[in-house]
Amino acid sequence: MKILIVEDEPKTGEYLRQGLSEAGFVVDLAQDGTDGLHLALQGEYDLVILDVMLPGLDGWQILQSLRRRGLQMPVLFLTARDQVEDRVKGLELGADDYLVKPFSFAELLARVRTILRRGRSGNESTVLRVADLELDLLRRRVSRGGRRISLTAKEFGLLELLMRRHGEVLPRSLIASQVWDMNFDSDTNVIEVAIRRLRAKIDEGHEVKLIHTVRGMGYVLEAPEEH
Amino acid sequence: MFRSLSLTTRLTLFFTLAAAAVVFGLALLVIAASERHFIELDHMALQDKQHLIENILARSNSTEDAKWLLREALSHHHGLYVSVHDSKGETLFQSEGFRPPRELPPADESNAKYKLQHWADEGRAFRGMGVRVIPAYDATTRLDILVAMDTAHHTRFMLELRRTLMTYAVVTIVICGVLGWLAAYKGLAPLRAMKSRATTLTSQRLHQRMPVDAVPIEMADLAHELNKMLDRLEDAFTRLSEFSSNLAHELRTPLSNLLTQTQVALATRRDADAYREILASNAEELQRLGRMVSDMLFLAKAERGMMLPNRERFSAAEETHALIEFYEAVAEEKGVRLAQRGEGEIVGDRLMFRRALSNLLSNALHHTPPHGEVTIEISQSSQATRVSVENTGEDIDPKVLPRLFDRFYRADPSRSHPETDGAGLGLAITRAIMQAHGGSISVTSAQGRTRFCLEFPGGT
Repeated sequence: MKILIVEDEPKTGEYLRQGLSEAGFVVDLAQDGTDGLHLALQGEYDLVILDVMLPGLDGWQILQSLRRRGLQMPVLFLTARDQVEDRVKGLELGADDYLVKPFSFAELLARVRTILRRGRSGNESTVLRVADLELDLLRRRVSRGGRRISLTAKEFGLLELLMRRHGEVLPRSLIASQVWDMNFDSDTNVIEVAIRRLRAKIDEGHEVKLIHTVRGMGYVLEAPEEH
Repeated sequence: MFRSLSLTTRLTLFFTLAAAAVVFGLALLVIAASERHFIELDHMALQDKQHLIENILARSNSTEDAKWLLREALSHHHGLYVSVHDSKGETLFQSEGFRPPRELPPADESNAKYKLQHWADEGRAFRGMGVRVIPAYDATTRLDILVAMDTAHHTRFMLELRRTLMTYAVVTIVICGVLGWLAAYKGLAPLRAMKSRATTLTSQRLHQRMPVDAVPIEMADLAHELNKMLDRLEDAFTRLSEFSSNLAHELRTPLSNLLTQTQVALATRRDADAYREILASNAEELQRLGRMVSDMLFLAKAERGMMLPNRERFSAAEETHALIEFYEAVAEEKGVRLAQRGEGEIVGDRLMFRRALSNLLSNALHHTPPHGEVTIEISQSSQATRVSVENTGEDIDPKVLPRLFDRFYRADPSRSHPETDGAGLGLAITRAIMQAHGGSISVTSAQGRTRFCLEFPGGT
C-alpha cells in the first residue's frame, strides 16, 4: 500500500512518514504543494494525506487538480483549523476524511486503515476468528475454546470491532465513535471500563491473553503469533 | 463644519445669536416708533400753524391787513417756515431764508388737504404741507399756504438714538456671548469630569466608576448606563484574566511533568521497556493537553457565536438512552443506578446535545457515591423541553453554584485531581452548547440531591 504525505511542517511530516512506514505502508513525503501535486500525479498512490495550509498550492487546490485529472484515490485532510465550513468544503471537494490537529497517531492510523479497507469489497464471512476466539455475526454468539461467552449488545459490538480489526491499535475515540456513536472527545474512562469488563469475560482463565492495552495509544486484540 | 465645533462653542454661538436677534429687534422697534412719533408731533404742530394762518386770513379785510397780521403772528417762530402766495403771484408772507420748493405743488383742495411732505433744500431737510384757501376779503383770489419745519434737530436726535442703541446692542451681545460661554462651560463640567474619569480607566483599574450623584439628572442616566457597562466589562475582564492564569496553570503542570520526565529519562541509559514506559506516559499526558486545547478552541468558537451545523428535530429520550448505554458499564462498576424517565423532542444539533448531556452524566457519575443513583428526567411543555440530570450525593456549597460553569472552575480548590478528571471545561462547554441553542442551564443542590437542568426553547 503506497501513501503520499504532503506536509510542510518538517517534524510532523517525518514522524508521520516513520509511523506509517513502521505500520507497513510505503510512504513518500512532499514538503510543499507543488511537489505534492507532482508526486501525486506520477506515483500510483492508494491514499494521499494532505495538509490544508501548504506553501505553493494549498490542500484544496491539490485535491481539485487530482479530481480534475480523473484521479480518484482517497484523500485524507489534516488541518489546524476546526471550522465546520472547512470540513464541509473538504468533503464537497471529494475528500474522504478529515482530521484536526492536534490528533493522535493512533487515530490517524485507524482512519487510514478504515479508508483503505473501504475500497476492498471483501467476501465478508459471518464468523470472525482470532486464535481460539470465535464470533458468530448471524447467531450473535461468542465462544472461546468452544465455551460460550455471554455478552451484552454493546460488548458484542466492541468485540466485533476489535476482531474485525485485530492486530490494529484502536484509539479510545475511535472505539467510542464506532461502538457507541459518540462522535466527540468524551473525557471519561468509559472505554477503559468497557474494555476491562470485556477482557474479564474473554481473557479471564485463559493462558493466552487476546485483548491488550497499548499505553498512550489504545487497545488491540491480537493472538500472540500475530505479534 | 458645524459638527466639528465643540459643544461649548456651539452653545456660545447659539446664545450670542439669540441675544443679537433680541437686542437688534428691540432697537429697530424703538427707532421706528420714535420716528413715527416725531412725524406725528410735527404733523400736529404744522396743522396748528396752518389753522392759525387760515384763521388770520379769514379775519383780515385786505391783502395789506393780511400781510400785517401774518407778520405779527409768524415772524418770531423759530424753526417754522411759512410762505403764503396769492394766485396773482404776490407774496403775502415769506419766512426769512425759506425757499418753498418749486416742485411741491400745494395740496389738492378736495383731498389730502393736510398731507405731509418731505423735501431737502441746500442740505437742510424740511417737512411741510400746503393748502389752498379763499381769503375772506377777496373771493376771486386763491391763497397757497405752505407751512414747513426744519427737521434737523429730529435727525440729530435720531442719529444720537441710533448710536446709543447700537452701542448698547453690541455691548449686550458681547456680554451675552461671554455669559453664554461661561454657562456652557460650567454646565458641561460634569461631562469633563466623566471624561477625566474615563481617561483614568485602564485594564488594571477597572473598578473606577462614573460619578452618578455629582452629575445633573440629564447625565445621570448616561453615567448610570456607563457604570453598568463598566460592571459588565470588569466582570468579563476579571473572568478572562482569571481564565488565562488558570489556562497557564493548567498547561504548566502537564508541560513541566513532560519535561521533567523526558529529561530524567535522557539522563542515564535505560532499557527499551523503560523508554516505552516513559513514552507511553508522555503520550497520555500529551493526549490530555490535546483534548484541553480542542476544548478551548470549541469554547472560543462558541463565544464568537457558534453556529449549529445540523439543526434537526430529534427525540431527547432516544439520545439519552444512547448515552445511558454508553455510561452503563461505568455506573455498574461504581454501583450507581442509572435511570431515565419522560419523553420530549428537541430542535437542535444531535451531536451537540449528546456532548452537553454527556458532560452532565459524566460529572454526576463522578460525584455520586456507591449505591447512589443518577436520574435523567425529560419533560416537555408548550414553551420548552427540559432535560434534567439529578444525582444523589453531597450538596454543593450554594456559594460556588454560580461559578460551576466558569472555565477551569473546580469545586475543589486544591486542583489535585485524578487522571480521569477533565480539565474543568465540561460544564463551560455544556453551557456554551445551551447558549448556541438559545436555551439555558441551571443547577440546584439541596438535601443530598444535585440537579442540573437543561432547558431547550421550542417545546411542542
